Amino acid sequence: MTNAGTGILIVDDIVKQFATPDGAVTAIDHISLSVKQGEFLAVIGPSGCGKSTLFNIVGGLVDGYGGKVTVAGDTVTGPHPSIGMVFQEDSAFPWRTVIDNVAFPLELKGIAKRERYARAQHFISMVGLDGFEKRYPSELSGGMRQRVAIARTLASEPKILLMDEPFAALDEQTRLLLGDKVLQIQQQLRQTTLIITHNITEAVQLADRVLVMTYRPGKVKRVIDIDLPRPRSSEIVSSEAFGRYVAQIWADLREEASRGMQDDEKLRAGGRP
Amino acid sequence: MSAVSARRGISEGTLAFFLGFGALVIFLLAVEGLIRAGLINRHIVPMPSQVFGAFERVVLEEDVAGRFRLTFIEALASGAMIAVVGIGSGMLLYRFELWRRATETWIAALASAPTVLMYPLFLVIFGRNAWTIIMMGFAAGVPAVTLKTIEGLVGTRRVFINVGRAFNLTPAQQFTKILLPAALPSIFVGLRLGLIFMLINIVGVEFLINFGGLGQLINDLAERYDLPGTYATIFFVVLVSVCFFVLTERVERWLRPGA
Amino acid sequence: MAETGSVTAPAPAGMSRFPANRVLALRICIIVAILAVWEATAASGLLYRDVVPSLGKIADALAALLSTPSYYWHLGVTAGEIGISLLIGGAAGLAVGILFGSHRLLGRAFEPYLYYLGPTPKIIFFPIMIMWFGVGPGSKIAMGVISCFFPVALSAAAGMREIDRVLIRVGRSFRASTWQMVMKIYLPAMRQPIVNGLRLGLGVAIIGTLLAETKLSNRGIGYLIIQAYSLFDMPKMYAMLIVLFVLSIGANALVGRIGRFDAAHRN
Repeated sequence: MTNAGTGILIVDDIVKQFATPDGAVTAIDHISLSVKQGEFLAVIGPSGCGKSTLFNIVGGLVDGYGGKVTVAGDTVTGPHPSIGMVFQEDSAFPWRTVIDNVAFPLELKGIAKRERYARAQHFISMVGLDGFEKRYPSELSGGMRQRVAIARTLASEPKILLMDEPFAALDEQTRLLLGDKVLQIQQQLRQTTLIITHNITEAVQLADRVLVMTYRPGKVKRVIDIDLPRPRSSEIVSSEAFGRYVAQIWADLREEASRGMQDDEKLRAGGRP
Repeated sequence: MSAVSARRGISEGTLAFFLGFGALVIFLLAVEGLIRAGLINRHIVPMPSQVFGAFERVVLEEDVAGRFRLTFIEALASGAMIAVVGIGSGMLLYRFELWRRATETWIAALASAPTVLMYPLFLVIFGRNAWTIIMMGFAAGVPAVTLKTIEGLVGTRRVFINVGRAFNLTPAQQFTKILLPAALPSIFVGLRLGLIFMLINIVGVEFLINFGGLGQLINDLAERYDLPGTYATIFFVVLVSVCFFVLTERVERWLRPGA
Repeated sequence: MAETGSVTAPAPAGMSRFPANRVLALRICIIVAILAVWEATAASGLLYRDVVPSLGKIADALAALLSTPSYYWHLGVTAGEIGISLLIGGAAGLAVGILFGSHRLLGRAFEPYLYYLGPTPKIIFFPIMIMWFGVGPGSKIAMGVISCFFPVALSAAAGMREIDRVLIRVGRSFRASTWQMVMKIYLPAMRQPIVNGLRLGLGVAIIGTLLAETKLSNRGIGYLIIQAYSLFDMPKMYAMLIVLFVLSIGANALVGRIGRFDAAHRN
């Protein structure tokens, strides 16, 4: 499981270090994973495990690492057109309407207004924002704004959808419902998806496989196949099998998370982790 | 809506407007009464009724319309220069970081310095004409716009820049599609501030050098001890600044429909 | 209603591609270039005589100015006028701003008047001030007061509205009196907008007071400047402008620093 396998997205033996005043810190220590076409992979880990760094590396926003990321055989050297990114923070452009936001990637491709609006409309309906095309993000709730960001990324029709804790800022109920939506879309489009999260329920609800990361330096601790039936909905959170997966992941995570807390306490006491 | 006005079916905004306007009217009536009763010296405070009477006189005899136009045009010229040079220099300084680090604090210092006191100098350099006035307004207003433009561009939220990078935008696209729209709110704050400084200086310098539009008229009337006329003209000066603010708000609403 | 912000220099960033000495080198280059152009213009006789006097003449005038005791007396007069007007105008502006900011209806009713009257150049009220307060320092102080009242009031009103509602509820839950609310909750919470308002107020108070002195006075820096101008003693005028600019920039920075010191202290 630490070897890169076959798949449309291959992350091969990534090592990433950061320079800090206290010396070099290894954020990611030889991580490999692969995502098959149409698969939904969730990467979960405690705070500080380097998962956001992983997101930035796969997305091509960061360089200076060891190892290689390939998408359909093509090496990633910068933001790759086949990878679509959805960020954790509010990223819908506040100065554009919903439809202008979603049509953004099409605008960049030079597609004429009528056609790109028509295409954008398709994705707007897909995320359930029909009727809000002419509204501005400031008029929408947080969950709706994230849907705009998701629709915008989907409109570029990427081979890989890469999401970094996209629901972190939302409350639990909205998160579950939005998770439902994302699942629907993913199943409909057969979209290959890699999601970074710290939320166990979310990981088990959405993913085909869950990869658990260790605390810094980040390594692959375990990969768990989620054998829950598809199509799934948020009701699945109350099933027994679901509970067992959550417990299993939590057992792994707890170990890593408490190591993280110990480090924090040491830091606060003035020592070094 | 407050409970009271909701029952009567008036919006809070209308209620506020009438409250403000009503208070003003009552105040003017009170002043009028006190002057007639001799409790306020009528040579120091003219009767509001006299001021209203002066309006017609001031408009007809003193060509207030023409002077309004002159002051307004001076302000427009100055404002246009401020916008172009201010936003342009802000963009340049954003692009060239070394120059920005070298000059930013200087520009901030300039923004708060009493540049208007250089008016004798500008008089000698540009002559006793509209250009002195326009340049003084320009000098007063431009630092604020430059600074706020820089602030807006530099302060663009990280995530927007990352979205641009994720979509492989060229530097030019990054600037026009992300940085500039993100900076617009700050740019407009700067413009409003710059325009305030500009207007203060324009009318002020007109008053001081006794040339130009409304500022000069006030100076004239004051020297003639025509107090009602002076007050009436002050009203027109306030009107100029109102016009400018409404104009700026319109432009902003047009450029930033989502605001 | 749209707000105006304040214009402040940014705090220096930690990491920069450009080390401090390169920035310093560029600054020195810029200053040298400006001085060189100045001296060249002075020597060329391009502009009407003495509009751009040589740097040497200005330096001499500056030295002469700073060694004249009467200059400091005039400086004191102006500084006093500005200080008093800032006190009066600032306090009045704060009071009115807090009032308008805390009562929604009052604010909506009367703030527009402040907003539109604010950008009006207060120098046009000077003739009226003379009528009311005479030709002496009184009218200059009055000018300073009406100048700085508006920015302080508007900043205070905006600042009131931005106070985290939670803080106000905490005060109410402890049944604080109005005075206590103002002193212990409103003012501390509004420190930043108030300081910004005061900086702006200081700036316009300086302008208002000085302009009034140039128009009609027989004392103060403004009077000295216009006197130098009427005698066409340009080097002296430049010298006074230099001192004036340095002092007003310094005063502005001081007010800003008081605000920041306060913040650092609290946190």
